[in-house]
Amino acid sequence: MIRYILRRLVLMIPVAFLVTIGVFVLVRVSPGDPALVFAGEERDPAAIAAIREQMGLTQPLPVQYVIWLGHLVQGDLGRSFQTHQRVIEAVTERLPATVELGFAALLISTSVALVVGIVSAIKRNSVIDLLSTSITLAGVSFPSFFLGIVLILLFAYVIPGHIFPPGGYVPLTQNAADNLRRLVLPAITLATASFAVNLRQIRSSLLDVFGHEYMRTARAKGLHERTVIARHALKNALIPVVTLIGIQVGAIIEGAFITEQIFFWPGIGRLAVQAIPSGDYPVVQGVVLVSAFSYMLTTLVVDVLYAWFDPRISYETASA
Amino acid sequence: MSGTTLPVVLRVPRTDRATAIRYFARRNPRMIVGGAMILTWLLVALFAPVVAPFNPIKVNVVDSLQPPSISHLLGTDDLGRDVLSRVIWGSRISLSVGLISVGIGFFVGVSVGLSAGYLGGKFDLFVMRGIDALLAFPALVLAIAITAALGPQIQNAMIAIGIVAIPAYARLTRGQTLAVRSRDFILAARTVGCTPLRIVTRHVFPNITNPLIVQATLSTAFAILAEAALSFLGLGPQPPDPSWGQDVAYSTRYLSNMKWWMSVGPGLAIFSAVFAFNFLGDALRDALDPRLRRSG
Repeated sequence: MIRYILRRLVLMIPVAFLVTIGVFVLVRVSPGDPALVFAGEERDPAAIAAIREQMGLTQPLPVQYVIWLGHLVQGDLGRSFQTHQRVIEAVTERLPATVELGFAALLISTSVALVVGIVSAIKRNSVIDLLSTSITLAGVSFPSFFLGIVLILLFAYVIPGHIFPPGGYVPLTQNAADNLRRLVLPAITLATASFAVNLRQIRSSLLDVFGHEYMRTARAKGLHERTVIARHALKNALIPVVTLIGIQVGAIIEGAFITEQIFFWPGIGRLAVQAIPSGDYPVVQGVVLVSAFSYMLTTLVVDVLYAWFDPRISYETASA
Repeated sequence: MSGTTLPVVLRVPRTDRATAIRYFARRNPRMIVGGAMILTWLLVALFAPVVAPFNPIKVNVVDSLQPPSISHLLGTDDLGRDVLSRVIWGSRISLSVGLISVGIGFFVGVSVGLSAGYLGGKFDLFVMRGIDALLAFPALVLAIAITAALGPQIQNAMIAIGIVAIPAYARLTRGQTLAVRSRDFILAARTVGCTPLRIVTRHVFPNITNPLIVQATLSTAFAILAEAALSFLGLGPQPPDPSWGQDVAYSTRYLSNMKWWMSVGPGLAIFSAVFAFNFLGDALRDALDPRLRRSG
């Protein structure tokens, strides 16, 4: 097991290296002079030249990359062109809000999908199944920003009593009740697309298990249908669900960019989106890197868990 | 060989063809519904100048913020522009971005996957690490980063979504190529002296098209959704050009005033277009995947 993890970690290095090159190149191909953006109102050519020198922009590109990478491995993502705040600080300040939203969305999407998915697979081709497959398709097709708007309209304006506020954030430590009230709509918005994907996966993996011979054997030896499903089908069908969490983390990170924007949720997604129009590339770069590395690590953890849960997967084949 | 030979009828009688179509429609209602929805949107986009009742960018402040009525079926926005006309014209952008970016992803991804799968070795190892690096980013985050870097323009949105679509095609094609390349007919082609390019294009590719068709349909749905998301964040076409995502974003400033119609038109348009491609993709997957066909 440890060998497998180490091997996966080693394989991650070239990918991580390519990711850093990709992000670096992206920022360098961006239109506009970073020194000019950083200078703000300052238009003195000498001052701009000094800034350019200070930022290392006069160096050849490979040298700039090596210097940038050197800072990166020390956790230095540069400074915001706009606020001049260290990017790592800006990201860590906003990360708790994103994690809270992501965790709530993950909880909603996984738990609801598990229940509906199991019922839908067991009662295949029933009204419930038809309804759940339709919801699945609608869920993956419904743009999250539109869903957010519909929810705001309904729960903040149309339904009397203004059940949930249209947006905003109050830290959990400051007022837990208000925090949860403000969390509901963005969490549902963010959870919907993942819920649809989860539901589809749980249903299809259960149906796949139903087709196996050991299920026929279990039924043939006279076991009660409930036992067959709980002891034989569910145990095997839920293994792929582990990978879903990995897939969902990616979906939740990208969903956060949109959902946080609609609900004025001060997370890292909103930080990046607000940095784009002003050309604040270090912030965008920082958030994109943090997102990519979090996603890579989650995928690794999920793969390891998957190999650990499923005894049919040998670490040698899994690592091949 | 003795005895009489029966004549072979090559032309299928018309009645049989009609029965076959009816049989196909009965067996694949989802494919028909999805296909019809897509065809409708394509026709709407193609004939937008004829179908749209008003000029989508013409400001008419007298008629601003009108709720849906006979003259403006989906109402008007704060500048008096007809929402329905903007939805109709917006379909051109959404569908063209969807189809062109999928074309980019398909062409590059399939070429990479075919070469990596067929050539194998170090080339495969090197190229697939690059694909892994693309997969390391959550798809939409990468699309946002690329569009933000290149500048908020429709062409850049197409390139960004196209790049994001590459890994899915590359991995799928590589896997399928690996499965096909050890088959006897490939060995036969190699034995008669076919070049690798000919083998890949004439023998491997035609045998792996089924999953690629499904992937192309589903990724068009993703591309339309991604374009809408980029436009929503201000990274797609710029005002006053009509774009579904951008129009939904614009409408948010009137939410508290309950001017709901400004968002509903473009929002439902995105949903129906994405739904149509997902619906067709799912039906195609069920029809083309023998494993699902057996269990279904």
